[in-house]
Amino acid sequence: MQVTILKIAMQILMDKILSEYADQAFEASRLRRNGVQTTRDLVSAEMLAELEATGDAMRFVDGEGQVAWKATPRLCDHLRDLERDALDDLEDI
Amino acid sequence: MPSLEPTTIPFSIEAMRASLLRLEGDWETVQASRNRDAIYGYLTAVFELISWWEEERKAVTRAGRALHLRGYSSARQPEPFAAIILCTSDHCDADDRTRSKWSRMLRYAAEYKGLDEPLRDFVKRKGGINRCAERIARLGGRQRSLF
Repeated sequence: MQVTILKIAMQILMDKILSEYADQAFEASRLRRNGVQTTRDLVSAEMLAELEATGDAMRFVDGEGQVAWKATPRLCDHLRDLERDALDDLEDI
Repeated sequence: MPSLEPTTIPFSIEAMRASLLRLEGDWETVQASRNRDAIYGYLTAVFELISWWEEERKAVTRAGRALHLRGYSSARQPEPFAAIILCTSDHCDADDRTRSKWSRMLRYAAEYKGLDEPLRDFVKRKGGINRCAERIARLGGRQRSLF
């Protein structure tokens, strides 16, 4: 499987799926903040740790020898199923 | 102010459990497959896990944690590839000799494989699993396999 790595604040490398998750997590944290400043990196780190613990994200050494993150095959399968279901629902309308 | 330090994300015990569970799933996929090359899917997953542990210089410690989680104990330092194979494969289908051969092959790949080359392609290019295992043994890597 081809993995596209995006650089987030030059620090945490992750694939497209996880990068989208990070975008959502950061937006959600910005909306609910109570005067507490947070950074995108911190939100991403928290999110990745949670996804890793649930078996949805994993680390690997990328083509440049750096540790990066990608969605596990399980998460990819789950997202594919959701997409298929959404397309089926669309056809039913 | 954003921190200038690289963000470090700890590898939790839950993450360890999830990683071992994922590899056990990969092992079951191999068992259910009739494809001779299916084993490369499992071995690639083991290789990927140990590679990033090694990148953080924590492969031996984490392999020890994995063994402990699965109820194994050893007074000696574990060889990471052999330890993770032991923790995630079936002992009947992967006996001591097979696990030793796979771990030697993976050590050979860790030493000589390019970052971009898939494990399967590398091993096939080098003459197969047995040949790779022999090569690392000739280079003196056999003594590291303690599991």
